[in-house]
Amino acid sequence: MSSATPATTQNQSKPRWERYVPVYGFPVVNSFFVVLSLLVIVAFVLTAYRELAGLGPVSGMNDAYGWGIWKTFNVMVLTALGSGAFAVGIAAWVFRRKRMHSLMRMALLTSFLAYACGLLLLGIDAGRPWNFYWMVFPWKWNLHSPLAEVAICMSIYAMIPLAVENIPPVLERLWYFDSRLRPVVTIIERRLHYFFPWIIAAAYLLPGMHQSSLGALMLLAGERVHPLWQTPWLPLLYLGAASFMSFGCVAGTTMLCCLVWKRAMDMEVLDEAARITAWLIFGWLGLRLLDILFRGALGTAFHFDRFAAVFWLETLSIAIGGWLLVRSLRFHDPQPMFVGYVLSSAGGMIYRFSPTTLAFRPNPEALYFPATIEILVSLGFISLGVLGFLIAVKRLAILPAPLQEWYDMASYFRFRRPYIRWTGYFKFGFFGEEESEASGSD
Amino acid sequence: MAITRRELFTRVGKGAVPAAVAATVGVDTLQAAEPIPVPSAAVGLLYDATICIGCKACVAACAEANDTPADTRRDFLHQAPTDLNDVTRNIIKLYKPEDGSEFSFVKRQCMHCLDPACAAGCPFQALHKDPETGVIGWTPEKCIGCRYCTITCPYHIPRFQWAGFNPRVTKCELCRHRLEQGLKPGCTSVCPTGAVIFGPRPVLLLEGKRRIQSNPGRYYQDRIYGEHDNGGTQALYLSHVAFEKLGLPELGPESVPARTLRWQRRFYQYFALPAVLYAGLVQVIRKSIKGHEEEAHEREKRTGLRAQL
Repeated sequence: MSSATPATTQNQSKPRWERYVPVYGFPVVNSFFVVLSLLVIVAFVLTAYRELAGLGPVSGMNDAYGWGIWKTFNVMVLTALGSGAFAVGIAAWVFRRKRMHSLMRMALLTSFLAYACGLLLLGIDAGRPWNFYWMVFPWKWNLHSPLAEVAICMSIYAMIPLAVENIPPVLERLWYFDSRLRPVVTIIERRLHYFFPWIIAAAYLLPGMHQSSLGALMLLAGERVHPLWQTPWLPLLYLGAASFMSFGCVAGTTMLCCLVWKRAMDMEVLDEAARITAWLIFGWLGLRLLDILFRGALGTAFHFDRFAAVFWLETLSIAIGGWLLVRSLRFHDPQPMFVGYVLSSAGGMIYRFSPTTLAFRPNPEALYFPATIEILVSLGFISLGVLGFLIAVKRLAILPAPLQEWYDMASYFRFRRPYIRWTGYFKFGFFGEEESEASGSD
Repeated sequence: MAITRRELFTRVGKGAVPAAVAATVGVDTLQAAEPIPVPSAAVGLLYDATICIGCKACVAACAEANDTPADTRRDFLHQAPTDLNDVTRNIIKLYKPEDGSEFSFVKRQCMHCLDPACAAGCPFQALHKDPETGVIGWTPEKCIGCRYCTITCPYHIPRFQWAGFNPRVTKCELCRHRLEQGLKPGCTSVCPTGAVIFGPRPVLLLEGKRRIQSNPGRYYQDRIYGEHDNGGTQALYLSHVAFEKLGLPELGPESVPARTLRWQRRFYQYFALPAVLYAGLVQVIRKSIKGHEEEAHEREKRTGLRAQL
């Protein structure tokens, strides 16, 4: 952190992310938003049909492949992408990488949406969801079951620590929106901050537990998972993959948002994120290759079959992604950095998808390919998450930006759009300039 | 002598970490050495592939005993299921190699493992091993329909009902409703040749060993599948062809859950290690938050804008 330099003399060529600022001046409803909404509506209608007709008519699942993409993609893969609150949070709070704090709200939001949509689909995927009420009675849990661990831990995590961690942007908006709410908001914030250490700690312990248990799920499948993937280290590898994928998701999404909404990128923060991601990637790759080597499964990687193809696809895209990230560090170039995030996360996604689907061989003649309805529902619930994201970044202060962006927003709502009421960030009271004495009292 | 709060935490931590590690690593090594307990009144089936004539009387009797509809989906006339499915708990299959070597029938139903993988994975104990008879039964009120049992079972026995809003998991429950009435399971009560017999597991083991002894060279490997395989099962098999050909894989003497979930089980033993981790995290984060808040308020003074925490 630079010492107390006035905001006015900030170097223009090197923007610094100093404040979370909502995306203003863009309407929430545009054509992309409408397409996503349609997908969500289609998915909801098809979900109703699924609840009446059962899983067979709507999905490609069969006796051999009991799990389809709803579990193996929307839950196993997308919650790994949504582990930002875990991985970025640990970097920021536990290892005290201070720059990572400017990515925290993005991490928390993407995590919450990924988990919420994943859990919704988990409920739809369950054949007898009305029996989920057993979750309320801990003495009925099968504590040694990885699936119980995942189901219980994920629900608790998404409903308590993750949801609570996402409250501050909402409170902040209320504080700015109406000065009459400020005393109440301040009291709630103070209460919240009192409990934060316990909540944040739970937000790291719980995902650490269930992201590794997701890997432990396939341990019980034994030989039916291809030897390139089946290993006692599966829980640790799943956790590691979630870590670097979520960094890719958080930093990559932030970069994409900066590109789309024309915001300045803070290369100091992005460089640090890329450096951490590169370390995570190469540590993970090392562990994975050593494990394969010591188990003596390396030979199967050179067979001419689909398993070897999937293995090389995922390994190479993760390795090339990591290499691009390292390269981008030298020139502080966002372009290879973004491509590196995309490639490494895509490789990680294939890795997380493989043990349950691509490398799962229940018997030689069994096949699984998702049915159209299954894909539409899966897409619909992804769209739901994207919709939530678009609304949140345009209404709440989530994306990091230089300080100037905040002043620009204040003047935008004051002079150019003074008639905006509900959609503006400010309504009654101050416009972001003379607020320090209001908050300086506490 | 007064101790500060910090010292108290440090002292507790110094004691708690080794205790948690001991509970995680040590206790379970003792448990792993123990053999899997056999239920006190373990009952089971002994199927002898050399006697079976493939008449499928047991398939029909099973459906009748369990009150399931006859699976006529193949030709809409005969009860001829091709595999275990949502209405078929028991099936006779034929293994007939192309090269004309010895063929064999095989009866497939739940093996009632002593350490079942399905029950180990079942989140709310819907699949539960009866502590007395050892029968693995399915409780509809506890099943959430996650289908993890269809993934974990090394014999691929539990089947999920894919159609309908109220799906069931179908697997052999050793006719536990008949056992309560003092009757034998449906399949064993109709078998004309005695290829499948019902009885207490120790008795069946003795019977199997007697058959192996009196017919040397007749049985594959001169052993009973299920005596030790996968930690021992309550459905026992004798065969003249290789067990793998009949869909009974070589799993080794250690059960699948014991072998694969060892570290998972250790880590969550008494929840000791997670609890210690949590306490440590709270301490670290308390300190981080303090620093972060100070920095945020400093920035607030500098910029005149409200701190964003």
